Amino acid sequence: MTFQIPSANVEQFTLANGLRVVLSQDHAVPVVSIAVYYDVGSRNEKEGRTGFAHLFEHMMFQGSENVPKAAHFQYIFNAGGTMNGTTSTERTNYFETLPSNYLPLAFWLESDRMRSLKVTQENLDNQRNAVQEEKRLRYDNQPYVNAFLRMNELIFTNPANAHSTIGSMEDLDDATIDDVREFFRVYYAPNNAVLSVVGDFDGAQARELIEKYFASIPAQPLPPSVDVSEKEEVAIKNEIFNDPLAPAPAFVLGWKIPARRTPEFYALSLGGTLLFDGDSARLYQKLVKGDESVVSIEGGIDERRGPSAFYIFALPKPGEEVAEIREKIFAEIKSIATEGPSDEEMEKLRNSLCNDAVRGRQSTMYRAQRLAEFALYDSDPSLFDNELDHYLSVTAADIKNSVSRFIDVDNRVVLDIIPVAAAEEEAEVAASPQPPGETSQPASPAPQIPEQPFSEPETVHSEIPQISAEPVKDLADTQL
Amino acid sequence: MTSTETFRSQIPAPLPPHPIVIPAARETVLSNGLNVVVVEDSRLPLVNYRLGLRVGSSYDPPGSPSLTDLLAGLLPEGTESRTSREIADQTARVGASLSAGANSDYTIVAASALKQFSEQILDLMAEVILQPSFPENEVELAKQNTKESLRQQRAQPSFLATEMVSKVMFGEHPYSIIAPTPESLDRLTRDEFVRFHQKKFVPNNGVFIVSGDVRFEEIIARLESLFSTWSSGEALSTEFPATPKRTKRSAYLVDRPGSAQSNIVIANSGITRSNPDYFPMLLMHTVLGATASSRLFMNLREEKGYTYGAYSNLDARRTAGTFRSTAEVRTAVTGDSLKEFFYELGRIRDDRVSDKEINDAKSYLTGVFPIRLETQEGLIDQLVQIKMLNLPFNYLETYRDRVQAVTVEEIQRVANAYVRPDEAAVIIVGDGAAVMDQIRPYAEEIETYTTAGKRKETSRSAPAANVVGSWAIEVETPLGQAIPATLTVSSEPTGLTAKITSEMGDADIGQIEVNNNAFQKTAAIEMHGHSIEIQLAVQFDHEQVEGTLTMQNSSMPFTGSKL
Repeated sequence: MTFQIPSANVEQFTLANGLRVVLSQDHAVPVVSIAVYYDVGSRNEKEGRTGFAHLFEHMMFQGSENVPKAAHFQYIFNAGGTMNGTTSTERTNYFETLPSNYLPLAFWLESDRMRSLKVTQENLDNQRNAVQEEKRLRYDNQPYVNAFLRMNELIFTNPANAHSTIGSMEDLDDATIDDVREFFRVYYAPNNAVLSVVGDFDGAQARELIEKYFASIPAQPLPPSVDVSEKEEVAIKNEIFNDPLAPAPAFVLGWKIPARRTPEFYALSLGGTLLFDGDSARLYQKLVKGDESVVSIEGGIDERRGPSAFYIFALPKPGEEVAEIREKIFAEIKSIATEGPSDEEMEKLRNSLCNDAVRGRQSTMYRAQRLAEFALYDSDPSLFDNELDHYLSVTAADIKNSVSRFIDVDNRVVLDIIPVAAAEEEAEVAASPQPPGETSQPASPAPQIPEQPFSEPETVHSEIPQISAEPVKDLADTQL
Repeated sequence: MTSTETFRSQIPAPLPPHPIVIPAARETVLSNGLNVVVVEDSRLPLVNYRLGLRVGSSYDPPGSPSLTDLLAGLLPEGTESRTSREIADQTARVGASLSAGANSDYTIVAASALKQFSEQILDLMAEVILQPSFPENEVELAKQNTKESLRQQRAQPSFLATEMVSKVMFGEHPYSIIAPTPESLDRLTRDEFVRFHQKKFVPNNGVFIVSGDVRFEEIIARLESLFSTWSSGEALSTEFPATPKRTKRSAYLVDRPGSAQSNIVIANSGITRSNPDYFPMLLMHTVLGATASSRLFMNLREEKGYTYGAYSNLDARRTAGTFRSTAEVRTAVTGDSLKEFFYELGRIRDDRVSDKEINDAKSYLTGVFPIRLETQEGLIDQLVQIKMLNLPFNYLETYRDRVQAVTVEEIQRVANAYVRPDEAAVIIVGDGAAVMDQIRPYAEEIETYTTAGKRKETSRSAPAANVVGSWAIEVETPLGQAIPATLTVSSEPTGLTAKITSEMGDADIGQIEVNNNAFQKTAAIEMHGHSIEIQLAVQFDHEQVEGTLTMQNSSMPFTGSKL
């Protein structure tokens, strides 16, 4: 099947200082989205400085030579724009959407902090506090979330891959102003970044403005390369995670899988869709609906440039036999690994891929981010138009073979999440490490649905009101 | 880095603006009374459909909270001719989406697909709207799963805060109830869903909105034929009980021992969405707390570092509303945060906002407006709200002018009318023992609740003396075991000291300082030859005592009485 999606008409060039630029015009609505991606994420962090890339991201909003502290927010909002920044293992990004005539403002702000970030001890202390509150709010005060951080440590053996993006409180405490200055010098250079611009602008004018604002920022020696290599095997097979906030037991299964954009990754990503995406997914139909043995089952893929990960999270119902639920999940995986997806499932995958590809083109911000990502990771922003073909060319046999090779294997992590008090009691009874194989589940209150078990890799910066006092589905007050 | 590039020292001037073209929405009424709105948009081969019905959880029958929300969720779980599984498979097979949900004011059924599959998904959508069968097993499963998620919600401080705010601020009005109870779920029957659907899901309560690659005449003909059998019913009542009138500032503390943060909500009664004060309120809210450059955020986060974010919240619904200020702060700065909140609430009332602030707020609101028109989903959601909240059909066209028309005087007027610190309800979800004294200066009275929503007896008026003696307590472990122990408070020349003895181990608490009949202390307990750190928070009340003992991240409540 061929499916024509409208081209994003990508134009790209590189400034003399190494800044890679991607432009894509779209005049439907008078807005423009700008994204700046720096090739630095938590994978670049040194030992003893976990969480630093994200803390640094906060510092990028604290002022530069011509932009006072916190004025970045104000300039963008006062122009009628929205903005944010996020940090992942792979990269740190900064982005804004503005009325299209404010394009020069975005370039002025982004170039000023790329060339002349100002750091003070007071701002560092203040942002350290904000980040530590963020950690309390979104990790330490939430059930199940920290188990996912532990999962990463079990799947990956290389410290660059294994530690979390939010980092540890102690390491955040230890970060110094010199660390901030050095990090800026090494990683925030034009030749370590991509700028993408999507929306209602004139190409020649945009290029002229980009030259004006960015061309004089000096290049720096390339940052040290990062080794993210992993041995194939997963470090530990079974572990218990004591979660003081978890109201009930749950478990996570995790596998190490090949890097993004490998044939195996494409196939596994589609295999994951069949297992856990949406109401028609195999595991939902089997366990939430059919057996009614779990309250919820979710899955996800942590997509990285190096070794990546594949997860399944299940919340059993009270009184259900956890070992049995796990066996059913493994049986479903085996069924894909031996029989492969059905024709109907392949049709579903094709149509969903096309649907998502079209839908994703609507938002200029989505396009700006994807273009920047492909430019940064693959030096090829045209993948925004072509990546769909890679997915569409995956066959049922490819999915079967990849699931067989990487998922239907014992080379995986089983992490049992146990409410901490139950764990203490169990430790008293057994007083020894768990025997291999399935762990027994102590009697416990009913299981709970975790809020966002897969939200870990991206740590969001300031702007989004995380918790409004509204019932979730009620109206956000600035909607109109 | 020094710069010879003088252009950098000034914020660049904007380019000439480009006009915003608001997509034309055409409206008609089907022969059965169903209002239809169509936006033709052929930029991409996509179609979005929404059915909005002006029946939300505020119409749940008394005793059946969440009926509407559960009903919406059950629509795609079985029809007269299709099972839940078939509906899920057929939707996924064409890469489409089909879902339904409800909030307090309305219910939405949503579907979308690529143009080539748009007719198929519309047929399926009409089927789940008109012929849901509410299969027994699906009703039962929905009830069970809602019960489980309810238990999870009670572990979330944000849910506890919203629950308490709603209860306090809305009183007899149905917005006061935000969740069912296990008992109310048990009582729900399939018949109730069937009857509610027949009676309340009628075309004269609703609007059907289409946005995407469609032709107006074709889609109207198609809808006319799909919905011809759907007949009108009784109009919904628009009468609701008034919300309580507040006369003083009270605090409502939801005690969550060991909480890593305090969730703070400061609430006043607000306005309905169609109130003429909406636009002045929107501007006031934007200056005070809507964004990361508003006063609350700049103060509590950027200057003080108390929180990850502090915001205001203009909650204006169809039949009532509130105005709230919120933040999640670390426990130790709960009182300091209240101080800053009340400083800002006083300032927005007492001082005129500057010309720069009002202009910045207008520029923000008018500027972000077109971003919502980029996607079909963004536009159709605007149209849904216009229709469901009874706003004028030309709302999008006039929005920017109405924002521009607001004056500094109007902002001050609505601030004084609706931001009323002396009548505010201050809701705190946090560690009661650690925050009680911090809250006291900021409220005339404090009511304390458990996380289960039960009122606790407060001990404010109890005499400070008489904590000396032995107290028999039972410590409840998370597994539900009750461990007996004795808490002894002795009066020494140097002050009060305390110790705990139990069969698990003994702890010498050392010197304690009792304030308002409460004390907190960190100490060590000797268990099986190991010394383990514990945190103790104790509240005495006449002959009763209660508190929490926290050990290795596990918080255990205890209660007891004097020996």
